Amino acid sequence: MAIMHKDIAVGYEFPTIAKKYRLEDFKRADEKTIHTDYEAAAREGLPAPVAIGPQIAALLFRQLRLCFGHGWIVGGKWNLTFRRPVFVTDFCVARGVVTKTETEGSNLRIHCDVWIENQDGKHVIAGTASGLVPLAS
Amino acid sequence: MSNGKARVMEDAKGRRATYEEITVGQSLGEMDWAITDDLIDLQCQLDQDFDPLFFPSAGQPRIAPPQITYRPPRWLISRAYNVRGLFVGWEMESLGEIRVGMTLKVSGAIVDKYIRKEREYIVYEAVGRDEQGNVLFRTRRTHVLDFVERTAPRSGAGIDSGIKPEKI
Repeated sequence: MAIMHKDIAVGYEFPTIAKKYRLEDFKRADEKTIHTDYEAAAREGLPAPVAIGPQIAALLFRQLRLCFGHGWIVGGKWNLTFRRPVFVTDFCVARGVVTKTETEGSNLRIHCDVWIENQDGKHVIAGTASGLVPLAS
Repeated sequence: MSNGKARVMEDAKGRRATYEEITVGQSLGEMDWAITDDLIDLQCQLDQDFDPLFFPSAGQPRIAPPQITYRPPRWLISRAYNVRGLFVGWEMESLGEIRVGMTLKVSGAIVDKYIRKEREYIVYEAVGRDEQGNVLFRTRRTHVLDFVERTAPRSGAGIDSGIKPEKI
């Protein structure tokens, strides 16, 4: 059951989703990558292995799927900027807020600001997203 | 945070592409991408999202989370250029269900490149279509070629490669 509905208020804040990551979360077989290996990361000038960006953004996608249900699967849009590296042992929390609604055919498109904060409260990923809810609901 | 010493010049899979070599307007070609139960299982495992939308009751069509589309455009880039760097921008429109049993055609092109704060960026777009030619997703990606600034010489040897295996 999706959280969003046609009468949702601008300013509504999504339920948060958070995760504490481990290096193991980013391993694929025995590959040495900038996501799993300190030396591979150092060769690229990184101070430590960095998380796989889409895997961190997945916190937002879970949140948006929870909010919109099928209106996220078909009709979902996002525009995200990966503003600073997330390291593989960081804690991240996904947040979002409704900013605007507009009619789109037989649906309402609900626009949101979305972002992910790390353990220091810094926005590591930020951007916008939108999904659809039926006006007839 | 960068070491400021050198950018990677080559890795185990060959020489890294330079900013100058990457051509705006270049087609990245097209690939067939088969959607399987295993693929959706793995995506949901990575995302830790086990919603019944993705694990339907018997007899219901199984659909994939939209972000499963991340990789094929990246693979198209890997076929054309050895670019490691970091993924920094992701625009996406999910226009139709991606279901088990479908084979999508994914095509892409380099659409822009620019330099900002002494780092080199490329922008590419991709579209995924079903067997009937319906567009299921559109995406625009931005990738920074190196974490280290472009003022550093390109001379180092990398361990990780920009040529990615075509699997999740």
